[in-house]
Amino acid sequence: MAPRYSVCIDIGGTFTDCVVASERGLDIHKTASTPPAFERGFMDSLRLAAQDSELDLGAFLTATGTIVHGTTVSTNALIEGRTARVGLICNEGHPDVLTLREAPRKRAFDWKLDFPRPFVPRNRTCEVRGRIDARGNELIPLHEADVHDAVKYLQSCPVDAVAVSLLWSVVAPAHERRVREIIQDLWPDVPVTLGHELNPIPREYRRTISAAIDASLTGVMPAYLERVEGAVRDAGFTGSLLVANCIGGMMTVEEIARRPIYSIMSGPTLTPVAAQMLCNEPDMVVIDMGGTTFDVSAIRSGRLIVTTEAMINDDLLGLPKIDVRSVGAGGGSIAWVDPGGLLRVGPKSAGAIPGPACYGRGGDQPTVTDANLTLGILDPAYFLGGRVTLDPEAARAAISPIAERINLSIEEAAYAIHVTSNENMIAAIEDITVNEGLDPRDSYFVAGGGAIGCHIGEMARTLGIARFMVPRLAAGLSAHGGLVSDIRGEASATHPTSNHNFALGGVNETLLRLRAQGDAFLERAGVPLSQRRFAYAFQARYKYQSWEIDVPFDDAPLGTGDIPVLADAFHQMHERIYTIKNETDEVEFTTWTVRAVGLREAVVGDHVWDRTSHRSPLGTRRVFIGAERAFQALPVHDASALGAGESVNGPAILDSRTTTVLILAGQRATIDDQGNCCVERTNSAPQTGLAS
Amino acid sequence: MTAKNENSDFDPILLAVLSRRLEAIIREMSNTVMRASRSAVITNARDMSCGILTYDHRLICVEEAMPIHVSALDLTTRPITELFDDVKEGDAFFNNSPYLGVTHHADMTLCVPVFADNEPLFWVLARSHHADVGAPEPTTYLPYAATLYQEGVHFPCVRIQENFRDKEDIVRIGLHKIRSPHVWHGDYRAQVGACRIGERRLKELVMRYGVATIREFVEAWMRYGERRATAAIRALPAGTWRHTSTHDPIPGVADAGIPITAQVSVDSDAGRITVDLRDNPDCVPGGVNLSEACARGSCLIGIFYNLDSTIPHNAGSADRIEILLRDGCVVGRPTFPVGTSVATTNVNDRLINAVQCCFAKMGEPHGLAEGGGDFSSGMGVVSGIDDRGGGSIPYVNQFCVGLSGGPGTHGHDGWLTYEAPNGGGVLVLDSIEVDEAQYPILMESRRIAADSMGAGRWNGAPATEGAYRSLSGDCAVFYCSDGDTNPAEGVFGGRAGAPSGNWRRTANGASEPLPSFHKARLSADESMVYRSVAGGGYGEPEARDPQSVAEDVNRKWLSVERARSVYKVALRKTANGIDFTVDDVETRRLRDR
Repeated sequence: MAPRYSVCIDIGGTFTDCVVASERGLDIHKTASTPPAFERGFMDSLRLAAQDSELDLGAFLTATGTIVHGTTVSTNALIEGRTARVGLICNEGHPDVLTLREAPRKRAFDWKLDFPRPFVPRNRTCEVRGRIDARGNELIPLHEADVHDAVKYLQSCPVDAVAVSLLWSVVAPAHERRVREIIQDLWPDVPVTLGHELNPIPREYRRTISAAIDASLTGVMPAYLERVEGAVRDAGFTGSLLVANCIGGMMTVEEIARRPIYSIMSGPTLTPVAAQMLCNEPDMVVIDMGGTTFDVSAIRSGRLIVTTEAMINDDLLGLPKIDVRSVGAGGGSIAWVDPGGLLRVGPKSAGAIPGPACYGRGGDQPTVTDANLTLGILDPAYFLGGRVTLDPEAARAAISPIAERINLSIEEAAYAIHVTSNENMIAAIEDITVNEGLDPRDSYFVAGGGAIGCHIGEMARTLGIARFMVPRLAAGLSAHGGLVSDIRGEASATHPTSNHNFALGGVNETLLRLRAQGDAFLERAGVPLSQRRFAYAFQARYKYQSWEIDVPFDDAPLGTGDIPVLADAFHQMHERIYTIKNETDEVEFTTWTVRAVGLREAVVGDHVWDRTSHRSPLGTRRVFIGAERAFQALPVHDASALGAGESVNGPAILDSRTTTVLILAGQRATIDDQGNCCVERTNSAPQTGLAS
Repeated sequence: MTAKNENSDFDPILLAVLSRRLEAIIREMSNTVMRASRSAVITNARDMSCGILTYDHRLICVEEAMPIHVSALDLTTRPITELFDDVKEGDAFFNNSPYLGVTHHADMTLCVPVFADNEPLFWVLARSHHADVGAPEPTTYLPYAATLYQEGVHFPCVRIQENFRDKEDIVRIGLHKIRSPHVWHGDYRAQVGACRIGERRLKELVMRYGVATIREFVEAWMRYGERRATAAIRALPAGTWRHTSTHDPIPGVADAGIPITAQVSVDSDAGRITVDLRDNPDCVPGGVNLSEACARGSCLIGIFYNLDSTIPHNAGSADRIEILLRDGCVVGRPTFPVGTSVATTNVNDRLINAVQCCFAKMGEPHGLAEGGGDFSSGMGVVSGIDDRGGGSIPYVNQFCVGLSGGPGTHGHDGWLTYEAPNGGGVLVLDSIEVDEAQYPILMESRRIAADSMGAGRWNGAPATEGAYRSLSGDCAVFYCSDGDTNPAEGVFGGRAGAPSGNWRRTANGASEPLPSFHKARLSADESMVYRSVAGGGYGEPEARDPQSVAEDVNRKWLSVERARSVYKVALRKTANGIDFTVDDVETRRLRDR
């Protein structure tokens, strides 16, 4: 029997979102996250989905082909410093690679700052004798006694995991492999990450930092994934379980457990993928306001932005990653007053437990959600479709002390919290647009996250945004991305050669091996043969350059006639990026990449939003309008009852089961043929006083 | 514009967007130079900068650049309009003459005019430190070159492109005169790419917003810089202060060293600062004299290091600072053809230290200690023959593997990867693997030098030490190690950092100290050993937080003995027998004594 369901579950700090694709289209189910045992929320959300399909969990899972999982577990662990304690084994003479880095970036005229601490402390770093040179020659043999001493030292520290990163292990990995053998002999249980296996690139800092971060996550991710997989298999799931990774693709559980660093930002990296599927705009800003964090990414000229300079805390990740930036600003962010009397919101969040004060689960700190309830934007009786009843009095009680401190009424204080939260999010948007020299007003905004609908109208007004979309499944935007995105895997290997003396045999052998790896990946992910595609790329540079550029090419294996074609493709790409090329210069090829793609059946297009007649508003709700410092009765519409093409003029509220959208005066919402809420500015005069 | 703010000034949001847009254009230009160039000193260490000026030579923006490269950029573009009356679209001008506004001869600079509607609006500029300039010796730093005639090739502000195409005869001068010409040519072409990208992006910007708005923006941006600088200077105490920092002796050039004195006067009411450098020695018969661009630029740098770093570094803010220079002065306007080969580093770093330390004389919390200067053999220019691939390919390149330590300041220790006062900590530290892949050099070691930092309540950053050797026969190493004799001094009771040093280590392991200004010839079994300069401390070391002292010991920057003798902090081992923690009782006893 063909599977009837595909599922994506995205776990954030506050909510667990489950989006299900079936012949009925897409549906979303939200439930509270359950830290630290996040796997419980995972199973809770599946139970909700099964109920909604009127099946018991076992039957639902039996009929489910694929579950894609996005998880915040590793990102949170790194940000909160709750990772495994790592020891580093490195070359004699080079113990400070993680401290010196490539010299951390700073502003030239700023000296009021502290040099960042290394990811692995110096007194958890051990030097061993042994040295390989750039050509792979062994200049100094590995001193095994040094490795023995290092293991003993790291055992007494103690550490929980070991990263091994030796110079030129990418060319000659024997020393790194031997170090691992010795560690495993002496200390069989400790997880070991080898630099050349994880991240086979030259540049010792980038390889070493990624190995160290990866080792730190071995104490977190594999155990978590084991619990998730155990629970879902026990409940009857036999399909493929995939985990979203940091480069906008997916990996099997086994692969991500072996290389947990790839799970960083798993989830948020799916939001731009979802936005790409939702609209054809070439330039977009994609925002997602969850309970704990606010994530921003962008699409430029129709392409996802991949960065090789992604940072996590004070360090490079060392690996390429979709450029998604995250700040602590969500519905659960806690408002406070600083010693100078200034109102601040976040980054601390009430999280899933206890949650905002109005959840009535013991929270007494005022959160953004409490403010939105106090302002009347949220309906206390219809939060999450009525599954959670909010307590307005608890919200007011939590805000009251702050209102007193800053000398405002409770409603005014709530509005101040609301606006401060907007400013925090706007600053994050500016970081990825204005700071990159892009005017946010040139982009189409796709706004996701359960809480975003309360804020986006006013943020758009402040930023001068003319058009934005709150998707029907806004509350689970990244989970949506996980369902619609193709399944992607990537395998790379270093095989240096040049167009003057091209190693055809070796390169073809490499390409075929990588392709076989990609094929095996798609097989494990359950992709049928007819849906498998392969894309090829090489990294190359002119001789004496040190930064490669990525150049796609058509097919493998290569023939002799292809060598000038590859070189020409490089010249063209070099000109496209840098405006110059030197066609007589030697081209050095370093790394070869095969990207394996499993095409998804289009789930969105199958389902066109029903055209129903416009229904009159459900009623009105009194909302505190900050600019007027007064409550105003706004019409409330049931968003799911509006048909495709129907419009609502602001000010108004659109309620649906998982989100509430506040449309301001001067804005008009129109439902598109997928049920998404598309908002445009109706008064043409720019509202920030800006010519555009 | 449809609206103005209450000061009837430019729209504040558009001001922010356009200024960031220009910064982003410079970032894109810089990225092009860095990634498309061939010399390791550019592609790895990022010894390059890009900038945008108005066509009438007012600096708009210098983000992400090396301070010394860009703080007096107006002097670089001005000669173009003085020497040419037919500047047109598609031109590009190439200049490395210290007498025509360039910092020093290795900082070869490409300038491109940007036209909109047939009207010149901007200059875009890319300045790269080239690995070779065809000097008599294979190095770009010649401390003994008393005149310009010993410096190699000069392009004295020449038109190198017309109609967007290279003038092959001009390019041929470089190909003919410079070692590793293909490397030089690749670096030059990367500058062309960067400037043409900058030109394209600026034209897009003008197209979108219109010439009038862009012109209004430029004026508003200058006024903003001026307002910010004025406000910051008004917050300083009024008065006049002097500080002297002395460059190490250079045999035959300056046997007693070169004392450099800055006098900084603050007029708080007017919001103006005057820097007077006229009371300084005459030019010396060597290559360490400053160009005018360096002398002016370094005064601005020393001041801006002490003001809020978010002030824009444009012509508007620079207008608040008056600089008094003297002809024929070692830190002034050099007299043609006096040598300036080493103008950007050595004496120049002493000048920046002298200016920045004047602020420490205003009292706490003002000022900075002295920062470690350039440059030991850890920044040396290395040349030789690469025979690893079976051929024999000559190479010459500057390696940036051992950066000096930054100065302590109130509230913060010095920046570890500081490099030198002239660089603002923006230089990138070489990747050992990238250096070793491209050149036949083995980087045997590189580590933070223990017990080297200038002790203070806030420490100067420690030095970096290391060793390298040739994997392909003999090599030569040129360096000009200022800081071997006179270290970076501390302020407010902070101690000096450790001096720099250079040694030859022979095959049997013996080390022999080498001179400070030197060309070392090393055989393949000999290693070059270096230590950079550590930064000076700020405040008494006995006032340092004991927890920070324990951390310094745990990270092996500091010995237990010096923790006790210098900082008066006693430590004991924790239960694992490895880590140290503060012995509170004993520390109190030591500090109360």
